Amino acid sequence: MRFLGLASKPTDTRGVSPSGRWGNRVCRLIGLVGVVFFLVTAFSPLAPRANQWLANPPQLVPSDAIVVLGGWVSPSGLLSLESLRRTNRGIDLYRRGLAPVLVLLGGATGGGPTEADVRAEQARLRGVPPDAILTEARARTTREEAFLVKALLQSRGARTVLLVTNAGHLPRARPLFERAGFEVHTAPSDSLVEADEPESRLALMRVLVKECLGWLYYRVAGYI
Amino acid sequence: MESTFIAALAGLTSIGAYFVGARALGLSSTRLGAAVGKMLESVGMTLIFLAANLTTSVLIVLAVRSLTGTFVSAYATDDVVWLGVSLIQGLAFQAWRGSAAESGARDRG
Repeated sequence: MRFLGLASKPTDTRGVSPSGRWGNRVCRLIGLVGVVFFLVTAFSPLAPRANQWLANPPQLVPSDAIVVLGGWVSPSGLLSLESLRRTNRGIDLYRRGLAPVLVLLGGATGGGPTEADVRAEQARLRGVPPDAILTEARARTTREEAFLVKALLQSRGARTVLLVTNAGHLPRARPLFERAGFEVHTAPSDSLVEADEPESRLALMRVLVKECLGWLYYRVAGYI
Repeated sequence: MESTFIAALAGLTSIGAYFVGARALGLSSTRLGAAVGKMLESVGMTLIFLAANLTTSVLIVLAVRSLTGTFVSAYATDDVVWLGVSLIQGLAFQAWRGSAAESGARDRG
């Protein structure tokens, strides 16, 4: 408890124990790093640059399938912004003729419709033929998505995939699909997203930090 | 444009606060550095609580997954409310430490 400065003895004339002072210095250093990181993220293009670095270079080449990774859908069937971005990107790539098959992923939340079904409906409305759409709603993690897509595409002999997800997610998703036996071409869903206000830069940095931790976990667990 | 506006406004209100403190409230300018230090300590304590909260919640998710076989998404722990909760915890803890130091000084005085 003395490290925390909560001890009453021994203390200096200001009532702070030596170990408590050391604790203050540690807190001050962490606080300084936090404040500098916050200001640099909010008022500089650090987050968009880092995102761009992760997204580059998109490899939009003809492939055997376009695989759109899951995001989130509300119980009432509304896609999250990121899920919508990925879906639109996948549909655009299909309409550009980059693959004959569009694989849409994503499970359900709270007993609502599955994300894959909601996405498939959007794809049909935008002119993608129903027989070109494959859905998979059982995967709960990126790792499970790679396994299930492999099973789904194996019978079709698909070897190359255009992988659609946000740039921060790609360093984790790409090796998983490569391990599943695919040659992966990346198609980041957010390469055109402009984060030029402090709030959107902070939101983008939050995504990048979260994805860094996810990557680290997958790395430590030996998944990638 | 928005960044410049926010930075300029924050600078303006900070200068205003300095003059209010120094002139109207008679606060010592030399104590400003120590006050910034205290602010950084509180931010640091908030970040320590944030790290502790997030680490604990992820460990709980992993424990529930492995012990019960029930899948709980790690994204369940991803909520901006943790920042607010950690701020409250950090400020309260720092106030507690501050009061302990004050009572220690009084005892010696």
